[in-house]
Amino acid sequence: MTASVAARPRKPGRTLQKREERDFWIAISPWFIGLLLFTGGPVIASLVFSFTDWTGLNLSGFIGLENYRVLLVEDLVFWETVYNTFYYTFGSVLLGTLGALFVALLLNQNLPGTYFLRLIYYLPSIASGVAISILWIWLFNPNVGLINFLLVKFLPIDSGPAWLSSQTWSKPALILKSTWGIGANMIIILAGLQGVPQSLYEAARIDGANVYDEFRHVTIPMLSPVLFFVIVISTINAFQILTDILVMTQGGPGTSTYMLVYYIYQNAFQYLKMGYASALAWILFTIILALTLLQLWGSRRWVYYEGET
Amino acid sequence: MASTTLSRRRFLAFSGVAAGAVALAACAPPTAPGADAGGMAAESVTVSTALTWEAAFQTTQQEFDANFMEENPDIVLEPVYNTWSDHNQVVPTWAAANTLPDIIYVHGSRAFPWAFEGITVSMQSHIDADPDFNIAGVWEEALRLYRFEGEQHGIPYDHGPIILGYNKDIFDAAGMDYPAEDWTIEDLVETSIALTNTEGDVPIWGWRGDMPNFGNGTNRNMLNTYGANLYNDEETAIELDTEEARVAVQIWVDLIHKHGAAPTPAESEAFEQNAWIAGQCGMSLFASWSTPTQYSFANYAWDVAPWPAGPAGQSCGSFGSGFSITKNSGNPSASWRFLGSYLSTEGMEFMWGSSGRGSPARAEAYQSWLDSEPASDSAHYFLHALENYAVTGRPYQTLAAPQLLDITGRYQTLLRSGEIDVDTAITSIVEEANVVFAEAAERMA
Repeated sequence: MTASVAARPRKPGRTLQKREERDFWIAISPWFIGLLLFTGGPVIASLVFSFTDWTGLNLSGFIGLENYRVLLVEDLVFWETVYNTFYYTFGSVLLGTLGALFVALLLNQNLPGTYFLRLIYYLPSIASGVAISILWIWLFNPNVGLINFLLVKFLPIDSGPAWLSSQTWSKPALILKSTWGIGANMIIILAGLQGVPQSLYEAARIDGANVYDEFRHVTIPMLSPVLFFVIVISTINAFQILTDILVMTQGGPGTSTYMLVYYIYQNAFQYLKMGYASALAWILFTIILALTLLQLWGSRRWVYYEGET
Repeated sequence: MASTTLSRRRFLAFSGVAAGAVALAACAPPTAPGADAGGMAAESVTVSTALTWEAAFQTTQQEFDANFMEENPDIVLEPVYNTWSDHNQVVPTWAAANTLPDIIYVHGSRAFPWAFEGITVSMQSHIDADPDFNIAGVWEEALRLYRFEGEQHGIPYDHGPIILGYNKDIFDAAGMDYPAEDWTIEDLVETSIALTNTEGDVPIWGWRGDMPNFGNGTNRNMLNTYGANLYNDEETAIELDTEEARVAVQIWVDLIHKHGAAPTPAESEAFEQNAWIAGQCGMSLFASWSTPTQYSFANYAWDVAPWPAGPAGQSCGSFGSGFSITKNSGNPSASWRFLGSYLSTEGMEFMWGSSGRGSPARAEAYQSWLDSEPASDSAHYFLHALENYAVTGRPYQTLAAPQLLDITGRYQTLLRSGEIDVDTAITSIVEEANVVFAEAAERMA
């Protein structure tokens, strides 16, 4: 056997490539099997469950599209959660992206201490979600919270909003809280800013461009792929808000902060309606997919890729 | 000769087969806990328990377990501790995977759905066959929670009523008499207004701001005393849409928003726990299970009194927790032997009575709790309530219960914050709850 292997003619170059290819597949296989088993399996299973009245424990049978019909036609809370989730997503993505861009522009200056400030702005992004949520509950405290203290001090008002206790202010409060995590996006945008060739700014200045013109016609176009990436990822993340709701509001007051993932959690684990929760999850997936495709389509109008004509 | 290279297609095939094999292995039926011990099985069996005690109370459990195992050398106890808040999510997950321990803690609100879903099994045959276990010594109101299709699926260990708590220091400072046995709700309202003084550096409110929670407890106290009902006895319909209910709910809303005699939700947020524990409220609804927390955190003199009567008489809610044997128990007989001891009069006295942890579900074990350090001077009023006017709070026998509690809880929050009026809240609750009731009836059918 050994002799026959030894006698087999080798194909130098090609053998190394094949061996590397085999090693690659072996190296990737633990993750890939995990993906198939722990992500692919549940994804397919949840699609099947969405057509059943499975409680998580017992299954009476397939009920066709009944879960989807009830969700879309009868469930008033579902439509409130959809509205709340869109409201939150729009607000948090807008504020988060603009905030991250603003901070990144500031920290892109060659000034003393910018390295330290970059670290400071990034630090909140790696802090524990629950701990930060509890911290924000105190910041939003209507009577002794820092936010209302500052509002009353610097604005001509006697008292600040009730924030998390108010149907009107609870969603804006969550949007404000979401800015805590702009550090991650700030780092990405900062990397994008540092990749913009200085020659473009020099050329613009020679043509008489002022600071605004440079920003509008050089920075934004060159940064647009990065901004697009940040917006897409932030949108997907915002649609999946859960920790803040569980810790800060439990969906209240009323249904003012019921979000889609929270409603999925409630149906699956509190009401033992796993089939219904699966249908909700697939609707959430469809919404996110549709929005992402819409963003991809829209990106043709404003995202500039260097090298493309 | 077979090729030594691995094509993308072959890799995908191998991965699929491997994932499928792992999935099949994971789906294999679990080995019964008592059957895997081989030679050891003849000598001892393991009984696993899922409990929710915090670290400080686990030492009491360990002491009880050690004593039990000494007296029953053929049983080895293996406790697992969940946090109270996680437990209700963990148990269904265990059930779905068929990995439930032999015995689980079951809050009263989960007794019905978990029995319905088959997580817990009937313990009736064990109870009937065990003459040493005095089931009649357990409060009937407590047993009702754990009864499913006429059979006990669990035995309560703790069952307590919700009566009136008061801050003696605030009453003393105002020169007012403590709540009396013959108090009416009118007296409670008048005294709450009289005690309130929010002008000083430390605002004092007469009432904590409790409302009918439309859930498993305070409806009896706040609605039934005015002749109103939240649910019918069968728990198939909501009965909140009545004049009596509107009058009753309005009283508690007015205490917050008309008289300013209770903190608003925004004002309540200023406290780490709540304004009552912080010593800034004269009175509060007070359940027996709140006693350990009150004892640990309240830095003032306090006591309890009977819940005041309303125009329709005296009534209060009661609720509790218990233990059940699960569908996956490999040792139901050994599990019952443990529970029989754990939930006997002596067991309850040791675990929850003399430790002050909670008001035992047995009348005979109650005195040990009344004598414990955390129980207040007038804690006997809890016993008085259980014997005279406490009724287990609904809903507890419908699959809709968790959803109903969410619906009613939402509107209660809005009433407390003053963002809706009583009429709107009642109309909305009725509208939403009836849909949920109908759906639950369909599921149960």
